[in-house]
Amino acid sequence: MNEETGRQSVSTPPNSTELLQLVMESATDFAIITMNKQGRVTSWNVGAMRLLGFLDDEIIGRDGDVIFTPEDRAAGAPEQERAETHANGRAQDERWHVRKDGSRFWGSGTLMPLADGEGFLKIMRDLTERRAAQEQLRESEELFRLLATNVPQLVFRTRATGERTWGSPQWIVFTGMSFEDSMGFGWLDAIDPQDRGPTTAAWTAAQESGEYYIEHRIRRAADGEYRWHQTRAKPVHKQRSSESDWVGTSTDVHDMRGLQERQKILLAELQHRTRNLLAVVQSIARQTIRASASLNDFATEFEGRLHALGRVQGLLARDDHSAIDLRELVEMELKAHEDRVEPGKVRIDGPKIVLPANSAQALALAIHELATNAVKYGALKQALGKLDISWRIESADGSAPHAVLDWLESGVEMPDAAAGAVRKGFGSELIERALPFQLRADTRLEFGAEGVRCRIATAIERKGTADG
Amino acid sequence: MAEAATNALDGRHILIVEDEYNIAIDLAHSLQDLGASVLGPVASVADALALVARELALDGAVLDINLGAEKVFPVADVLREHGVPFVFATGYDHWIIPGTYADVPRFEKPVDTRALTRFISK
Repeated sequence: MNEETGRQSVSTPPNSTELLQLVMESATDFAIITMNKQGRVTSWNVGAMRLLGFLDDEIIGRDGDVIFTPEDRAAGAPEQERAETHANGRAQDERWHVRKDGSRFWGSGTLMPLADGEGFLKIMRDLTERRAAQEQLRESEELFRLLATNVPQLVFRTRATGERTWGSPQWIVFTGMSFEDSMGFGWLDAIDPQDRGPTTAAWTAAQESGEYYIEHRIRRAADGEYRWHQTRAKPVHKQRSSESDWVGTSTDVHDMRGLQERQKILLAELQHRTRNLLAVVQSIARQTIRASASLNDFATEFEGRLHALGRVQGLLARDDHSAIDLRELVEMELKAHEDRVEPGKVRIDGPKIVLPANSAQALALAIHELATNAVKYGALKQALGKLDISWRIESADGSAPHAVLDWLESGVEMPDAAAGAVRKGFGSELIERALPFQLRADTRLEFGAEGVRCRIATAIERKGTADG
Repeated sequence: MAEAATNALDGRHILIVEDEYNIAIDLAHSLQDLGASVLGPVASVADALALVARELALDGAVLDINLGAEKVFPVADVLREHGVPFVFATGYDHWIIPGTYADVPRFEKPVDTRALTRFISK
């Protein structure tokens, strides 16, 4: 039964008029319009009705130019189109058109002369959406270009292999490489040689992961410095990643890396310094205990030493890497006793000497011990006592320069042996043993007839430190 | 001060590498109180290596990691070669210590001397 019907439904091919009629009726997406020589509409298919809104009887016999915009009509566009058709056999019609309701659409079509020479045939489609899409694409390309050429990052386009196809002007300015030289793998020349291996390896990895990421150094043409950059890239069309276009950026993270690095070190140093300081406090406490006759005795001495430690920490904390002026240290320790020191008893003299931060702590403690001793028993206690503190820089035949500090007390009537002996504990051990031990200082401490005399010679620029 | 038996380290030779005098001396006293024979204290890698080379009967060592500009690690390596047990006494966190020394006991500063001496006298 079905076979019967199927066989019977085969029809004979239509003649050309029928064919034309069929095409015109079924091509509902196309407006197919015929016009006479004067441009009056002679036929109007379903597509034309749908696209333009006029029914047959509203348009047949009327001027076909109504579908042009008023401005195009004023400019003579319909006439030009017809003239071009005569001259070239056809004319492209790509422009805004107007519907019956006045709304506009982007029509794309062709105007051709009819075979009998008695009129025209216009076939036209509505390409408003496609045009909008193209417009959008153009706009987004423009936006990309605007972004790519104005952001601080170096922007590039590349194949999935890492072969570059485009580099932004920023890349050219930063690296000093020409556009052409940067193409392909030419851009690798701007990468720090020691980072080139990982840089190309990351492209191999990117083909697997679909994302490129590396931190590497890129040479800045302005000063030749290799600066750390974070480079990322992603494919634009993910589904065809083998041949797709990738877009990437390189961001200068050099300063940030430096800061992070510095912060990490500072934190470690801070912790180290804090723990070390506690250890120093602990050992000062123990040694003070060993040398103290009573708890009262211990409290006074220990507090004095803690204060001296605190003062020098204040100097050290000013800036983590700044060195400290010797004068600053000496004046600071004497100032701590200023309420007990008559003016004119102390003379301080010496050039500016910058101490490595790590020597400062031990020296401050030493000066504290000397000053405390002077206030308690020596030149700063006794009416006729004088204290002369001076320093100079010495550099014995080619050896590293040393700061030589002399602490000279005079006019002092030396106290009895017992009082001296107490002081001899912590302070003298610090000067005679600790300073040589940890600063490789050369020291001498004498309880002379006129008072205490002390010399401390220590390297100004020395590599070792007093911490551990 | 130590709770351990006063002769817990009797006759043991302990090396101290520490560049802060007060800490070094304090530790030396504590170890001596337990009967140890202290080598050093020394404040530099060179001094430590010289002592190690000279001293045949070394039973243990306490090493400060940061000796000013230098680190104590060369001393640690030599001690390892000689099979001498040692500990670190340091203010640094473990993350800053190279992984090869991860198994070395670490005493954080300020060092609890009693815990340290107890550990050494084991």
